Amino acid sequence: MISHTQQRTAAANASDSSPRKILVWDVPVRLFHWSLALAFTTAFITSESERWQLIHIASGYVVAALIVFRLLWGLVGSRYARFSQFVRGQAAIREYLLGMLRLRPPHYTGHNPAGALAVLALLGLGLLTAATGWMTFNEVAGDWLEEVHEGVASTMLGLVLIHVAAVLWSSLLHRENLVAAMWHGYKQGRPEDGIARRHLPVAVGLLALVGGAIALALA
Amino acid sequence: MNRFRPLAIGAALAFLAGSTLAASPTSPAELQAAWLAEARQSNPALRAFSAERGRSFFSTAHGGDWSCASCHTNNPGQGGAHAVTRKLIEPLSPAANPRRFSDVAKVDKWFGRNCKDVLGRACTPEEKGDLLAYLLTVKP
Repeated sequence: MISHTQQRTAAANASDSSPRKILVWDVPVRLFHWSLALAFTTAFITSESERWQLIHIASGYVVAALIVFRLLWGLVGSRYARFSQFVRGQAAIREYLLGMLRLRPPHYTGHNPAGALAVLALLGLGLLTAATGWMTFNEVAGDWLEEVHEGVASTMLGLVLIHVAAVLWSSLLHRENLVAAMWHGYKQGRPEDGIARRHLPVAVGLLALVGGAIALALA
Repeated sequence: MNRFRPLAIGAALAFLAGSTLAASPTSPAELQAAWLAEARQSNPALRAFSAERGRSFFSTAHGGDWSCASCHTNNPGQGGAHAVTRKLIEPLSPAANPRRFSDVAKVDKWFGRNCKDVLGRACTPEEKGDLLAYLLTVKP
């Protein structure tokens, strides 16, 4: 005996909207993500020695350039890159976080509400870290600025660790490798949920922007 | 705006954590006394710090390519420049720059960073005392 559900699944599989590999993250989003991770790590590692000061400063410029780009791309980028697509209210965030604890979080094709929170907080903290770092080096204000710079950076590191743990946890619960998806851009989903373009030229532009930021820092 | 509240709280906390670390005023004499007491724990025979040992400590490399003078120059009564960034560094001797050795947190921070860069380890209380004894002899 075939249930209605099975019949419907069979019908769905036969149609065009059966789950398949769809593109979710465009190239600029992915390049931004991993470049920010690399730049932030570099900045953290090079913070302790005067020998690495130029690399530290250049990393900060790169962080700032990346985030400014991401803020713009969040307005005009592809579907899942846009803030309007993934910034959600408290109810959705609470539902998702509780779902993570109850081992059944609702599934989202783009950023889930917890990930969205991490995106916003990390963008803000990253920009604040870069800005206070620049102000510290240029002695815009007193020594307290440096304490703020270190405090914000440490807060950001803490959030990065929470973000990584949450991504791994969500990946496990959804049986979906979110880290790999952020690398190659693909997830399993309905064809109509995928994005059409990879926006490679924009990614090339982002690389040029990063190059410009490094040149500016070393000039 | 509710969704931005955690962000605002986080930023406020970071700011508070940073700004409550207030200055901890001190003086070269106070620092010398503290380092002498500390140095005597491992070397009870130590009577006083030596400006001559401090001068030599300041101007020689300690196994690496840098010495203190690499950035602070051989005349710490005048300004120097960062060996990597070329950023100007204010004079290190208290006579030339009264703000030097006037804040415990800054003294600890910069000895911590610079000793690691120049010596590859932390400076001993004796080294710090000798160095300050030398710097106190340098006039602008």
